[in-house]
Amino acid sequence: MLGRFEYVRPRSVDEACRLLADQGAGAEVLAGGTDLLVDVRNGVRSPSVLVDVKRMSELQSLDVKPTHGEVALGAAVPLNVIAENRDLRRTYPGLCAAALSIATYQLRNRATVAGNLCHASPAADMAPILLVLGASLIVRSTKGSRAVPVAKLFAGVKRTSLAPGELVVDVRIPPLDGELSTAFRKQQRIRGHDLAVVNAAAAYAPYRGVLRVAIGSCAPTPILLDPIDTTGVSRSALADEVARRAAAVTAPIDDVRASSAYRRAVLPVLLCALLADVMDERGGR
Amino acid sequence: MTRELRVVGTSVPRDDAIGKVTGAARYTHDLVLPGMLHAALVTSPHAAARIVRVDTTEATRLPGVRAILAGADLDVRLGLYMQDKRILARDVVRYQGEPVVAVAADTLDLARDACRRIHVEYESTPAVFDPRDAMKSGAPLVHPDLGSYAHLDGVFFPRSRTNIAHHQKIRKGDFEAALTSAEVTLEARFDNPPVQHVPLETHAAIAQALPGDRVEMWTSSQSPYTVRHLMSVAFGLPHGAIRVHVPYVGGGFGGKAGLNLEPLVYVLSKAAGGRPVRFIATREQEFNTLPSRQGLYSTIEIGATRAGKIAALRATYVWDAGAYADYGVNVGRAAAYSGGGPYAIPNCWIDSFVVYTNKVFGTAYRGFGHLEVLWGVERAMDQMARKLGLDPAEFRRRNLLKPGDATITGETFTPGHGKPAECLDAVAKAIDWGTPSQQPTAPTKRRGKGIAMLHKAPAMPTSTSCSAIIKLDEDGAADILVSGVDYGQGTYTVLRQIAAEELRLPIDAVHINSDCDTAFTPYDWQTVASRFSYMGGHAVIHAAADCLRQIRAVAAQVFGVAVDKIVCENASAYPAGEPERAIPYKNLALGYTYPNGNAIGGPVIGHGRFIAHDLTHLDPDTGQGRPAQFWTYGAHGVEIEVDTETGEIEILRIATAIDAGKVLNAGLARGQVIGGVVQGIGSALWEGYRFDKNGRLLNPSFVDYKIPTAKDLPREMLPILLENPQPDGPYGARGIAEHPMISVPSAIGNALYDALGIEFTSLPLSPEHVVARLAEKGSKP
Amino acid sequence: MHDIELRVNGHVERASVPAGMTLLEFLRDRLALTGTKEGCGIGECGACTVLLDGKPVTACLVLAVEADGLDVHTIEGEATDGELSALQRAFVDAGAVQCGFCTPGMIMSARGLLLRNPHPSDEEIVEAIAGNLCRCTGYEAILAAVRVASRPSAAMLTGEVAKDGGRLRPPGSARKGSGR
Repeated sequence: MLGRFEYVRPRSVDEACRLLADQGAGAEVLAGGTDLLVDVRNGVRSPSVLVDVKRMSELQSLDVKPTHGEVALGAAVPLNVIAENRDLRRTYPGLCAAALSIATYQLRNRATVAGNLCHASPAADMAPILLVLGASLIVRSTKGSRAVPVAKLFAGVKRTSLAPGELVVDVRIPPLDGELSTAFRKQQRIRGHDLAVVNAAAAYAPYRGVLRVAIGSCAPTPILLDPIDTTGVSRSALADEVARRAAAVTAPIDDVRASSAYRRAVLPVLLCALLADVMDERGGR
Repeated sequence: MTRELRVVGTSVPRDDAIGKVTGAARYTHDLVLPGMLHAALVTSPHAAARIVRVDTTEATRLPGVRAILAGADLDVRLGLYMQDKRILARDVVRYQGEPVVAVAADTLDLARDACRRIHVEYESTPAVFDPRDAMKSGAPLVHPDLGSYAHLDGVFFPRSRTNIAHHQKIRKGDFEAALTSAEVTLEARFDNPPVQHVPLETHAAIAQALPGDRVEMWTSSQSPYTVRHLMSVAFGLPHGAIRVHVPYVGGGFGGKAGLNLEPLVYVLSKAAGGRPVRFIATREQEFNTLPSRQGLYSTIEIGATRAGKIAALRATYVWDAGAYADYGVNVGRAAAYSGGGPYAIPNCWIDSFVVYTNKVFGTAYRGFGHLEVLWGVERAMDQMARKLGLDPAEFRRRNLLKPGDATITGETFTPGHGKPAECLDAVAKAIDWGTPSQQPTAPTKRRGKGIAMLHKAPAMPTSTSCSAIIKLDEDGAADILVSGVDYGQGTYTVLRQIAAEELRLPIDAVHINSDCDTAFTPYDWQTVASRFSYMGGHAVIHAAADCLRQIRAVAAQVFGVAVDKIVCENASAYPAGEPERAIPYKNLALGYTYPNGNAIGGPVIGHGRFIAHDLTHLDPDTGQGRPAQFWTYGAHGVEIEVDTETGEIEILRIATAIDAGKVLNAGLARGQVIGGVVQGIGSALWEGYRFDKNGRLLNPSFVDYKIPTAKDLPREMLPILLENPQPDGPYGARGIAEHPMISVPSAIGNALYDALGIEFTSLPLSPEHVVARLAEKGSKP
Repeated sequence: MHDIELRVNGHVERASVPAGMTLLEFLRDRLALTGTKEGCGIGECGACTVLLDGKPVTACLVLAVEADGLDVHTIEGEATDGELSALQRAFVDAGAVQCGFCTPGMIMSARGLLLRNPHPSDEEIVEAIAGNLCRCTGYEAILAAVRVASRPSAAMLTGEVAKDGGRLRPPGSARKGSGR
């Protein structure tokens, strides 16, 4: 057995929120379980009750409005469903690339975007793209509903700013106000499934001349750089500027996955490739 | 054998595949016995410590807990070559991950619960992690009582009051003189980290202590008879009182070669009143508690003439044995006698030290030290070639063993040994050696080519033996009984082919045990060392001949002709020239019954055997002798593309030539080559244990110990199997199981020099490692 | 304890399970379907892959209670009335099976692939089985087997051989799916 805990399967968000409020700190939300159940098995987390949110229709929606780019990703939608959605692939290829980079095909049939974000690993692969897209989490609790920008979600290594009893219902990407080119890149140790040594995402709005970049695995939380004005800036100067800003706000560490030196060496390479992805080919990677 | 072969040499598919693709095949993980208990472990968090106190009071009170044992309860010593191990740590722990307390309970959850309630108090003691440090005087002693340990006298030489479990020497010719007079010399150092076998099925064992001091076991093992023998030695039980079953085994690669979990489950069963006890290692325990492949530090010196002939080679191998060295000492011994590579080296001096450290211990691993040693040797060969201004392939050609040359142990190389030069030429051709690579796919990438030689003989006792029984079924089909284990390599299919060939039966009419059982399947030493097809093949040929003798004797009587006039063909026997009178085997399998009812002969049961012969121990001072039943030679040629910004290496193509002597089954042989090459790539590019400064293993799971996935394959893999016959091999065959893995890292390391102009001396050649060396060099493309 | 009802290989199973029991434990220990293997317990190796409502998942990270009301397909459900599927036959013929421990999970991943994509590209095959670790084969023969099984003409031929009770070919006959 993985552990000793109770299991409940609410049928509505209201019911789920009531359960989470009643159970307090001992309750954990069970979506895909690919992080949570591993932690429970390894004794890292010992919840007393798991609240299974996969059979609530409110969390299952995948709503993509292709013309405006507004997207609602239900919190219980598996990553494979997101990665394979044609509208998403066309509108936000960087989002789908990020989803596809996670774990294995089997795990992506369970893992969710919300789960990836809420686990709040500094290497969370969905974080950089959702940061550059200015996404928000819609969370519900017995107190009501609120929107938490992803940029305000990460509080530290494996810590979010969500309050106890808050349940992520979906992830919203705001509507586009023009063409946007997105891409995601992830440096791994092998080509097979791996956690990120460094990851990053970029979104480029050519009509406004604005580039957004976010970087993961180089700080206690994923980091969103301030928007960069690209008008009139040469590509190489832009690459230098992005690398400079990235180095200024990141502090990669030595860990079992990689050395700080390697992360610092590879980050500018990744960022340079990302620039090419979003600025050379419309649609990115 | 000059006759036309019908079955041997064809790619017969394995029939055990059917059980495996349906899920019907049962592994030790799947076996459940009535009343079976489940075991769990408390392992040491410290690399070196005194066990002060073990408090099991809370755990003992749990319902369903049937036995709790600690090292203090078990005065049993384990080990054959070096008796340095206990079942559970006794008085001290020597590596982080070492089993300290074991629990058997009604369910696995109960057992684990009980383990969580066991409190062990330790007092940390000084530890040593680098074997080079461990060799220095004043280093903490991992085994202070080393001098009193029983060991195989005359074969292994532990040094009391040190951390040196064994010192193997090769002294051929006069190295010092040769080196002094050599025109060009080179010294280089190399190292590789410990790695793990990573069988998909972790170690598992079940034991039931039976009345009358008997024991029955089921174990995921490569060697049922070695398990039986070592259990006999450890517990003082007669061999016949110990019964070992080996069901399907989910991979071994050497990690399941010796004695592992079996004593533990046995003592638990005894303590639990004879109920069967099963222990299955978690994946983390597989990495952290079960054995690994030893790390190695090498120093290699070569002296050569300007014309490119090696005059002298000296190597010092310092093996990181980890906390226990029963198997490790043998790796250190075997690697020494191969330790110069497949070359004619007139003056050779090798010191191979197997050194204790406070880390998880090493054991046999595919290649048995040869991948580790040839990482250094084959890299040094390239360096010497460059120093001489010679093409690395040409330098090797000038030095590869040729008929009449002597190996470093004084064995004479003959045409029957195979053709290493032909292997070299084959891979050179396959990767267009001598022609520069095409343009890389990006300006920040570099391409390079590299080659490396490999060789290995089975590292086994001089009297290693093997046996087989063939009995005929009532329908005239044949059943083969052997105790070698087919844990994926496909040898059972090869043995079926051999029996079918010899008995003149269709392949479908030859069956082989899917399980081994020491009560019924006859002796085999261990399924290691790439000798099962060779020795088992001989045993089966021998057993088949015995069956035919019995068949012919009866048929001769029935037909009233001399025995030598009886032909066996098409599953039947007849007088020469008269096939129309043939009696099918099914009418001879249980003797023959005349029409009037009289019966002669009896059940046809043939037995065969093979014993290693003409081998000698190595001289303790010079290492001279004849350790090798046969040698298998080979080479790899590899072309890579390396990204100088990320350090990632892509293998564009890797050609692997092995002189197999005779390819008994091309499909299975290809499977061994591809599988071994990919496993070798793992060692080359990504795999390696990482420890913190306290000796704690940092990557004991797939999260951070990465093995190749289907996405990590070379673009092209080109196996080339040569067939220069081994005169005394079955149909001219040699073993090839370990060889494809050996020297894969060497070839890639050589290709990296070609691509980047950097000498890599440490494994793995990870992206981070490559970038770090590039940064050191200060070069940007 | 939770009462669950699920379909396993087409049979309805009803059981009472603790919340903490994984689907893997349920299959192996309760239903004695030991074909699905545990290789790591953390979803990294794929040895425990089964199909859940037709989708490959690692059963070690699915709770039995989560499978309530769903459809589970394991390796034991792959053959029909003792006849190997074309996919199983392709694995046998291509030399894609060595120790066999990864094989059930591999076949389940491949089955999942062919259910959603009957004619996958080589890249799609790699992606589908990349989450299944194998230490013996080096993957080449496994990829070849899935390739063969996904080609309609080959599947027909292998189907014919499978009708032959899954018997081996006579020596000397052409091998299919032998890779490069």
